[in-house]
Formats: sequence, C-alpha cells, structure tokens
Amino acid sequence: MNLDAKIPAGPIEKKWDNHKFNLKLVNPNNRRKYEILVVGSGLAGASAAASLGELGYNVKVFTLHDSPRRAHSIAAQGGINAAKNYPNDGDSVWRLFHDTVKGGDYRAREANVYRLAQISNQIIDHCVALGVPFAREYGGLLSNRSFGGAQLSRTFYARGQTGQQLLLGAYSAMMRQVAAGTVSVMNRREMVDLVLKNGKARGIIARNLITGELESYAGHAVLLCTGGYANVFYLSTNAATCNVSAAWAAYKRGAGFANPCFTQIHPTCIPRSGEHQSKLTLMSESLRNDGRIWVPKAKGDKRPAGQIPEAERDYFLERRYPAFGNLVPRDIASRAAKAMIDEGRGVGPTGLSVYLDFRDSIKRKGADKIKAEYGNLFDMYYQITDENGYATPMRIYPAPHYTMGGLWVDYDLMTTIPGLFALGEANFSDHGANRLGASALMQGLADGFFIAPATVGGYLGSTKFEPASGSDPEFAETAGQVQARINRILSIKGKKTPTELHRQLGNVMWNDCGMARNESTLKKALKKVPEIREEFWSEVTVPGSDKDFNQTLEKAMKVADFLEFAELFLKDALERKESCGGHFREESCTAEGEAKRDDANFSHAAVWAYSGEGKEPALHKEPLAFEHIKMAERSYK
Amino acid sequence: MSDKKNGFSVTVRVWRQDGTGEPGRMKAYKVSDVSPDMSFLEMLDLLNEDLIKKGEKPVTVESDCREGICGCCGLVVNGDVHGPDEHSTVCQLHMRRFRDGDVITVEPWRVKSFPVLKDLVVDRSALERIMAAGGYISVNTGAAPDANAAPVNKDDAEEAMDAAACIGCGACVTACPNGAAMLFTGAKISQFALLPQGSPERQRRVLSMLEAMDREGFGNCSNEYECEAVCPKDVKVANIARMNREFLLANFFGKAEPQSAGSRD
Amino acid sequence: MNIAFIKRIIFTSIGRKTVMALTGLMLGAFMLFHLAENLLLFKGEVAYNNWVDLLLSNPALPLIELGLLAVFLAHIAAGVWVRIEDWLNAPRGYESRKWQGGRTIGSATMLYTAVLILAYLIYHMLTFRFVDHSIGFYQMVTSAFRDRTFVAIYVGGAAALVLHLSHGMQSAFQTLGVNDPKYTPFIKLGSWLVALAMIGFALISVYFLLNMDACPADAIYQVTIQ
Repeated sequence: MNLDAKIPAGPIEKKWDNHKFNLKLVNPNNRRKYEILVVGSGLAGASAAASLGELGYNVKVFTLHDSPRRAHSIAAQGGINAAKNYPNDGDSVWRLFHDTVKGGDYRAREANVYRLAQISNQIIDHCVALGVPFAREYGGLLSNRSFGGAQLSRTFYARGQTGQQLLLGAYSAMMRQVAAGTVSVMNRREMVDLVLKNGKARGIIARNLITGELESYAGHAVLLCTGGYANVFYLSTNAATCNVSAAWAAYKRGAGFANPCFTQIHPTCIPRSGEHQSKLTLMSESLRNDGRIWVPKAKGDKRPAGQIPEAERDYFLERRYPAFGNLVPRDIASRAAKAMIDEGRGVGPTGLSVYLDFRDSIKRKGADKIKAEYGNLFDMYYQITDENGYATPMRIYPAPHYTMGGLWVDYDLMTTIPGLFALGEANFSDHGANRLGASALMQGLADGFFIAPATVGGYLGSTKFEPASGSDPEFAETAGQVQARINRILSIKGKKTPTELHRQLGNVMWNDCGMARNESTLKKALKKVPEIREEFWSEVTVPGSDKDFNQTLEKAMKVADFLEFAELFLKDALERKESCGGHFREESCTAEGEAKRDDANFSHAAVWAYSGEGKEPALHKEPLAFEHIKMAERSYK
Repeated sequence: MSDKKNGFSVTVRVWRQDGTGEPGRMKAYKVSDVSPDMSFLEMLDLLNEDLIKKGEKPVTVESDCREGICGCCGLVVNGDVHGPDEHSTVCQLHMRRFRDGDVITVEPWRVKSFPVLKDLVVDRSALERIMAAGGYISVNTGAAPDANAAPVNKDDAEEAMDAAACIGCGACVTACPNGAAMLFTGAKISQFALLPQGSPERQRRVLSMLEAMDREGFGNCSNEYECEAVCPKDVKVANIARMNREFLLANFFGKAEPQSAGSRD
Repeated sequence: MNIAFIKRIIFTSIGRKTVMALTGLMLGAFMLFHLAENLLLFKGEVAYNNWVDLLLSNPALPLIELGLLAVFLAHIAAGVWVRIEDWLNAPRGYESRKWQGGRTIGSATMLYTAVLILAYLIYHMLTFRFVDHSIGFYQMVTSAFRDRTFVAIYVGGAAALVLHLSHGMQSAFQTLGVNDPKYTPFIKLGSWLVALAMIGFALISVYFLLNMDACPADAIYQVTIQ
C-alpha cells in the first residue's frame, strides 16, 4: 500500500498555495464533461457539491435521507472555530494549528492541520455571505465564545444550532446549483458498494431505498462524505442511520483505513435510562463554561444533590486540572468522569452519571442570564429526563460522539484508490487522536468548500480516463456481489433482529473498548465480536423483500458491516499500545493516571489494508513528523 | 431490568399502507413493557422488534437524529401534529405522557403535496423544489468579503436566526387547514430578507419561491396560525407577513422577474 | 407591455389573498360608513332623510354603487377561488385530528359567515334597495325594524358580520404584510372593535323593534317584506 501523503514542498505557510498553483487545471468548457459522485450530503458533501457545481462539473449527490438537509451535521450544537482573532485575544493561524495538533495529541499530519487553520477564516467569510445567521454583538460584528480545550475565544456560533445553520448554508449553496442544473440530488439512495475499473474508482452501486433496486452510477471521481462510525457502539450521539458501510465498502475495495480506534467520547451527554434506549443525546459542551462538574466525596452517597454540603462535594475537574478546570478537552473530561464512576462515586439511579451543576452560576449571573444562554439545552434535558436542571444539578455521562479515524487520505484528500476521495469525518486526516470542540464543522467545510474542489480538479486534469458507464461489466459484477449478500441476509430467517445484534455488539465495544482499553479486554472483545458476527449470519431475521422500502434490511446491512469493522477497530486498539487522545490504554499511563504517549513507537498513522475475507488485514504505517510543533506531554493541569 | 417494574401497556392504532396510491388502513397493536422513560419512537421500536421477530413487516417510520433537529420524524399522534407536547418534534415525546391502557392513534402527515410512501413515511420533496427555486444567496465559494465587512444589526440577525431555525419537517403544512407551505417558505424568505447579504436578490427570490410553492400545489394561507401553533422551532407567522410584504414590494416596485423553472444554465 | 405583475396578482396564492385583503378592508370601511349613516336613525326622520337625499343627489352615486359592487364581486371571486383550492388541499382521511390552537371560531367559520352575509345582502337589497321608496327612507327602514322576523334576520346578518370581521380584519393586515410585535396587538384590538361595532346594526334594529323611539302606533307604516 502506497502511503505517500504527497505533502507539497516548501515552508508550511506556503504549502497549500504552492500546491494549488501546481495542480493541473481543467478548462472551464471541459468541466461539464466530468461526472463527480458525492456520497453524503452533510457539511462536507453539500459544500463539495456546491463548489464543484459552481466550477461547472456535473455532480450527483447521494443521500439516504429524503432531503440533503437531514444529514447529521445538522445536530452539531456548539460552534465552528476560526483563527480570525476578532476578539484580539492573541489568536492566529499558527495558534489554531498548534492547538489542533496538540489537542489531537500529536497524531495528526502537520501540513493538513496547518491548511485547515489557514482555510478556517475563509469558511467564516463564505458562510456569512451565504446568510448563516451567526451570533453578533450590538455593533453588528460577529461574536465569539470560548470552547472546550481552548484558552481563547475563537468559536463562531449560531445559538445552540451552529451545525444546523452551517449545513443549511452549504445545502442552500448546493440547491442553487441544483437550480443551475450542475448538481442533481439523488435522495433516498444508499451507497452499497464502490466500483473500480482499471484500478480507479469509477462509480458506485446505490440501493434505491424506496424501490429496493440496485442502481449503477458511473463517474470520474467518487467523494465519500459519509461521516463517522460511532454507531459501532450502538449507543452514541450519532443519528440512527449513521454508519460505516460506505467507508467499509471502500476499504474492502482497497482503500486504507487509518486509526479506526480513535474515537471521541463526549463528556456532556444525557445518561441512558434503560435497555430500550435507542440513542444518546448530547448537550453542547458550552454548558461546561458555566456548569461545575462534581460527584460526592463519599462512595455510594445516595443523598439528593441538594442535601450534600459543599464540603462533601468533589469538583474533580477543578481539583485535578486547576488551569483548565471544567474546560479540559473532551477526552480528559470523559475519562475523569469514568474514573469517578469506577470509584463508585457516580450519581443517579444507575450510578452511571456525574453532576453538572449550575447553582453557582445562577447565583452569580442570575437565572435569566443562564436561561438566555442555555435555555434550549435545559428544555431538552427536561423533556428527556423530566428533571429541572435549574433546580437540581443535571446528570451527565460520556457517550461516543465522533470518530477521528477514517479512510486514509493524502494531502489531496484522495484515498489509496485513485479517484476515491474522502472528506469530513469520513477521513482521518486532521484531528489526530482527539478532536477539539468546534473543529469538526471547520474540517467538513474546509474539505468540501475549499480543498476538494481544487484537488479533485487536479486529479481530473492529470488523469487519462477510459470511458465508463453503468452498463459496464464491472458494475454488473459488483451489483451481483451486493445482491448475493442481500439474498443471504434475507434467506437466514433466524430469531434475532438486526437491532438486537447491534446492541450486543455495542455492549462489547463500550465495555471492552470504550473510554479505557487494555490488552485483556481487547483480546476478550476480539473473541466476542466474531461470535456475534457468526450469530448474525445464522440467526438474523429480516422480514419482507429487498425490492421494497425495507428499513429492517437497511439496518441489517449496516449491522453486518459494523460487525466486520468492529474487529478492525479492536485490532487497531490492540496494536496501539500507547495512550493518546481518545485512545486510552490502561497499560500506558503516568503515575497520576494520565494518558502516556509512546512517541518512539507510535508516532504514526496506523493504516489497515484489506487482504480478503477471513484473512488478517495488513498494517501499514505512515510516519508522522513534527517539524513545527514540539511534541510535549499534553498537560492541562 | 427496571423497565419491567414500571412497565405498562398501550394499544397503538397505526396507519399501514404498502406504497403510494395503495389502499391503507388503521391497524391496532398492543405494546407491553412500555417504560415511562421511553421516547415515543422507542415505543414504536419495541413494537417493530416484536413484529420482526414474528416475521411480520414492521411499521415503516422515519426518524434519524432523535434529538429534534434533523426534521425527519413527523407523526400525527392522537390527532396532534408531532404529538401533544407544544413546539416539539415527535421524537422528543416521551411515554410518561401516556397511561396504562391508553389507545394511541398514529397517522402519517396527510397532505396532498406529501404523498405517503409507506406506512407512516411521506414524500416531502416538494419542499426541496421550493428551496431550489431561490432559497439561497447567490455567491460562489471564494468570492466572499471578510465576514465582518458588513455589520449586521444584532436584532435583525436574531430575527433571521429565529426564521432560520426551521427544520423542514413539514408540520406547518400538516397542521394547516389548507395544506399550505407558507410558514416554511416565509421563514426562508425572511431569513435572507433580514440580512444585508440576502438583500440584493430578495425580489427575485420571493417571486421565484412563490411560483415554485404554487406549482407544487400547496394551499393558500387563511391566516389561522395553526402552523405557528405546532412548529417545533416556534417559527412565527410574522415571517409569512414578511413574505407577503416582500412579494408586494417586488411585484409592484421591483424590476425582478422570477428565475425560469429548472433552467439549465 | 409587461403585465406579469398583474397576472401575479390574479394567479398566485399571495396575489389572490392580497385582492381579498384589500377588498375586505374596503368593505369593512364601507360597513363602518354605513353604520354611521344608520346611526342617523336615532336623530330622527328629518336628519336621516336629508342625508339620504344628499346621497341621492350625488350624480356619481351610480358609479360609486358600481364600484362597491365591483369590490364586492372581487372579494367574492378571490374568496371562492381561494376556498376551492383550500378545499382541494385540505387534509383528509384522518381517523383523529385536532386543531392545534391557532384557529378561532371566526377563522374556522369564514366560509359559512361569508355565505350567510351574502344571503343576507341579497335579502337586504331586495327589501331596501330594489323597492318602492315613495314612503320615504326613514319610514321604510324603521317600519322594517318594527317587524320581528325582519329584525331576527337583520340581527343574524350582523352576527355573521361580527364573526367574519373578527378574523377578516386582522387577517387582512397579515396578508398585506403588516405584522410586527409592536403594532399587531393594536391591529388585533382595532379589528375586534370594528367587528364588534357591527353589533351597532343589531342594536339599531332592536331599538325600533322595542319601540324605544316611542313612535305612536298610527304613525307606523306597514311594510310588506318581499
């Protein structure tokens, strides 16, 4: 597997400009001759489709939803980072670059992150121009707030709905291209496989979710903007349909999968209430700006929060990390909460939560101010838990939220398959082992609006294409393989529902490879996951036919992929014997229990290559060099 | 599991329909072991798990984020659009709202412009076509001036945000006695009309979007404000008034003509 | 000649509603004017008949009447068109369906009150407009008001008008784009006052029915209601 990241030469500040200059251009009149398939319509997909459409390419966008605007980017609450330095608090492209590399625990590629920081400012400019109603000051200029892991205010936001507003912005830009005739939206279609011709990605097989037909689409480049795979844990903050299937299909067709074990566990989620739980709801971590996180000092203290006197409360984040306090990065906050719960100091009926208390800030700022800032979150909390967060502390528990791992891509965002690009959360490139708050939206839009349109053009301009169409034998063959898999699922007619098997998988993943992992839990999980997979292939039941709107079949296909993918996830976690970012190996920690990196052995991206069914995947490594940022212990004390 | 302890039973009467244009009917199912902490959709999950195990076709129902922002879900529960909770999506409805033995009717959006695809799922793509007619600001990537180049009055920005909060679920159309999409369209037009960035093409936008809305066969506005009453994001009918105003100004004092439908550059 | 802007007034959903709103406001204004005229009945026969003579002496009266008729017909035409479309689009087939809190009795009954008002108007024309006026207008009107059946119908018409205007007046402002948290409460209040003013018609008729003007019996002219 060739893991040449093709990082352009020159000083880091000039790399992207130099590279854009060196990329081949496609003559405007020729662009309409190229067909680009964009899979997924979240921030990355919608923005890429919009920009590519504006340039004049023919773009098809595939979404499994009824509308592109439903993609899960819509649920991001907190905000989007940019190095504008409007608040004059010392921010710069360099500092955003630095913070992101450090926040990612030195497991990201410097050149990519620098480019991300550079582009961050253009994103804000463009989104304002698109009519995104960002928060503003009375003077009419944009407002910023600080966000987990940052000591300055560089986060732009639109109330608690920043993801929604940015997605609607990108979506509207894309709909303009729909009107212009350059983009067509193929809704209610799910990519089920990738089609290669002469070693290049030349199309996809998509399942029409209404008729159930497998449809062939040929193109010159395929952009996977299919998001992350946190649903491998069954319970996560992701939407029900978030999946790994498209990325997994690409992996099985030859794309390298990088760092699958890098998962972000978000600290401020609403704890689960029972076995019936279908998803976990995140509350913006901006809550940590005013809420104080604590547990009782005594184990098994069952008194209601209000009856626990101040002296018997342990504000454990403030105690352990005095410099950052409640604002430490997500991985650290999550692990600290887990440590308290493991000590038996968790609260609530299940003991699986910690308090997030607004008592002091209500006293200091007044309930009205708190309501104005977080009212929608308090309402949401009330609706789900039936508890009033103003009167009693909220209860929170960490939940899988974002996956830093993904398809390996080079500087051009191209995977190891020529013509197959991966954008946004679907790729691995920018967040290393841990993502900073408000950086996901930034990356999705940077990839889609600014990077892919340039690099996809460069690929098209420098590549000779043989004709390809959906009626080629390669398409029929791939579709045949998909159909065989579908037939096999339908023919089992066992006793277990896809959801039950998914829940089983999730339990294993969460218990053995969740916030903390060690060799023995991972090995245990590596035995259990194939067993569940076997159970799936002998016990699953899917009623109805495949030539129909069949949600159970959709779910079963996703679970089948998760069951294969989980094993790779576990292998990667086992292989990486160090702790870094969201990946915490209990064997690798400091005397105080903090994560300890092993830069000598693991300063690389672990890239896995498929070697065929039932065969061990091959591990390749892309070494990471840090020329501009000195590697240091990530300390927030 | 503690669920069983508090578990209660309800009967759900659900609309079953195999496909667009096929006949449909209400069918009753008993759901046991319902926990008050369950969401309404989790209760339907429970029903579906049971149906799948029996080899029956589960009820097709659309939902995704289950946190009230994606706009996928939408059901009429006991005659209430998005269920009995005010200004909320049905995914945020919890079973603690119901009692043991309740009979709950669950029906799809029944709107002429949203044909039923299957069971409780409808086709809302008409709203997409309204958006494509002008629900955007025409600016190419890379062409934008600095974000702070044009100050925006904070109150206008807040009002634009109020309008932009629309999640496109279609509840307004469903609640409307005339099946009108005025609140949806008015909200989008308002958002851009309130911002200086959206102003240059506001006249063309309102004429184009109105034309598309009418083409899709949505009803008229009788100003009864049922839409506002159910909107999960509390989008106000003042946005419809603003759309009307925009229309009158554009029609009588503007030079713009609507962009021709489906024009291919 | 670009007539697109005229076509848009007739052929778009908002355009038609604009016609309804504008004509509705005009008709509302006319009703207030008409009420003011009728209040002259309290002042007595001379004052009322003088006013009618003044009106009739205006050479433009036929034109004004035609204008009023046109406004009325436009209001009806737009209303019928909108209603047919709304009927076609109305949600159907629900086993259970509740209104969600936006509707009022006035808004839910617009069609019915419209039909009642139209029916009443025709009756009104037949009893007051297209009849022999030789006995004098004051006599004609007050005599009618002393007839129980007539007053019952008249009060019914006024009631329909109150309901119709309770929604229609404020709705017209919304349609014309006037909705602002500052003014809307006043618009709603004003609309209700205009609607409630229509009770005035009923009060006038009841005043005469109860013979509160103490008119001697032999001075009452017997009308035959057609």
